Amino acid sequence: MNARPASLRPRRLLRSATALLLALACLFPFAYLILLSLAESWPFPDLLPRAVSLDLWMHVLTGPSALGRSFLLSCALSLVVAFLSTAAGFVTGKFIAYHPRRKTLLFLAYVPFIMSPVILGTCLMYLYLKLGLVGSAAGVALAQTMFAYGFAIVFFSAFWNPRIKALEDLVFTLGGSPFDAYRRVLLPVSKGMLLICFFQTFLISWFQYGLTLLIGAGKVQTLPIKVYDYVNEANIFYAAMASCLLILPPAALLWVNKRFVFNEMREG
Amino acid sequence: MNRSRNDRLGALGMLLFAVIALLPIGFSLGYAGAYSVGWAGLLSEGFTLEHWARVLSGGEVWRAFGLSLYVAAVTVALSVSLALALALFLRRPLKEGPLSYLMYFPLAIPATVAAFLVFQLFSGAGYVARWLLHLGVIADVSQMPNLVNDPYAFGIILAHVSLATPFFILLFGELYETEKIDALTDAARTLGAGRRDCLYRITVPILLTQSFTNVILLFIFVFGSYEIPLLLGRQSPQMVSVLTMRKYALFDITQKPEAFIVALLYTALVLALIGWAFRSGRAGGRA
Repeated sequence: MNARPASLRPRRLLRSATALLLALACLFPFAYLILLSLAESWPFPDLLPRAVSLDLWMHVLTGPSALGRSFLLSCALSLVVAFLSTAAGFVTGKFIAYHPRRKTLLFLAYVPFIMSPVILGTCLMYLYLKLGLVGSAAGVALAQTMFAYGFAIVFFSAFWNPRIKALEDLVFTLGGSPFDAYRRVLLPVSKGMLLICFFQTFLISWFQYGLTLLIGAGKVQTLPIKVYDYVNEANIFYAAMASCLLILPPAALLWVNKRFVFNEMREG
Repeated sequence: MNRSRNDRLGALGMLLFAVIALLPIGFSLGYAGAYSVGWAGLLSEGFTLEHWARVLSGGEVWRAFGLSLYVAAVTVALSVSLALALALFLRRPLKEGPLSYLMYFPLAIPATVAAFLVFQLFSGAGYVARWLLHLGVIADVSQMPNLVNDPYAFGIILAHVSLATPFFILLFGELYETEKIDALTDAARTLGAGRRDCLYRITVPILLTQSFTNVILLFIFVFGSYEIPLLLGRQSPQMVSVLTMRKYALFDITQKPEAFIVALLYTALVLALIGWAFRSGRAGGRA
């Protein structure tokens, strides 16, 4: 009776050790980047910085700085892209989900979503140049919306299922208008999905580098652009600071929304 | 009446998608095609297949596609198998306890930051080399193996694997619950199946089948990735996105048609892959 638990003990220990290692691996990038952003000097071969200070953080958080401006620009761009693509993807996803040629339309929705933004951006440059959108935040927002919109359609096409349709039909049967259907049934039922999609499309825009570099022509300085600029200048402390600004807000949001955000990811 | 008004809103959405995404993409790919055969652009002198012949007979593009295929295939194989092993081995810690929260943290790391981190950790004087030096594994920094900008794309693959594995661990954990694999294996055990049979005939096939679309998408994303190979890759060969951007951004405008040809070849490959996924019924199905 006691032999079985004893034989399982090494396995349990191994499992605990693996879980601990995995947990440390998840936390390490954040700890390392924060430490690097606080370092004033970290010469080779030291394992820890010789001096740390909050100067860089205070400079960015309290006064006008290039990084602070990039952070605000990234926030504004991502919010606009997330709002537009989620709202539009919601109605377009519905149209596609109930359309007789659903598969063909969904295939088309996949195209902007799966293509490499840099390669597609290279082809799009001529059109954006002709439209006078290159080098402007509006151009970057439009280009990013194209990709995020494709994702939102794919995301919502799985949400619009026969059960949702039956609920909507019930509203019509009871004399409700399309406005009633959206206001009283569809929007309350899809509130969670809308939030998830908003968060995902926000991240698509927040993390975008190649397309922003191309369409923004170096003038639209979002946080990912700043990270690379600092890396190219070999300014690792500023690059770490920009990286922290890039990863800490979504990490905090993921922490808060943990149970909420992931369940529908496999639909993509 | 209500239904038609409702459909009108959706049709408006589809029209918007066509105007914002499909028409610009169609036009741009058409322009790229026209540029590549001399019908458009500053160098246009009428129809010619000279650029296509030069690209297809040269080795640079094929090496770029070969490298991209290699990186994507190795990344997919490593990420999926590692995630599968960890998701099954750590089922309980991933379901409850601190790890169930911490696993979401890596999802907040973009490719730009992953590339920067791998560069900081694995370059010649990086953090790993410092530890190896302190532990006495290496006596000098010159003994540190070349893991960044290396010929085997170790750094590129490592960055991609570290981004994809947490996602797949969470995905497999979620699928394990939604597909009721515990109930299925219990039934199989009742019918006489062994643990190994359950693992290889039920658990793994179900998880891989259900995540097939995500696996294909991962392959496509890695194949076309830009930020990571830009920082961690070599000058030659370059991955497809980096090569396209370099040829496009060069001052030598005779390289531009080649950039568009690479873009068109990439587009054809991606469309074929996603078309295959659709035809096999794995993508685009109602969940």
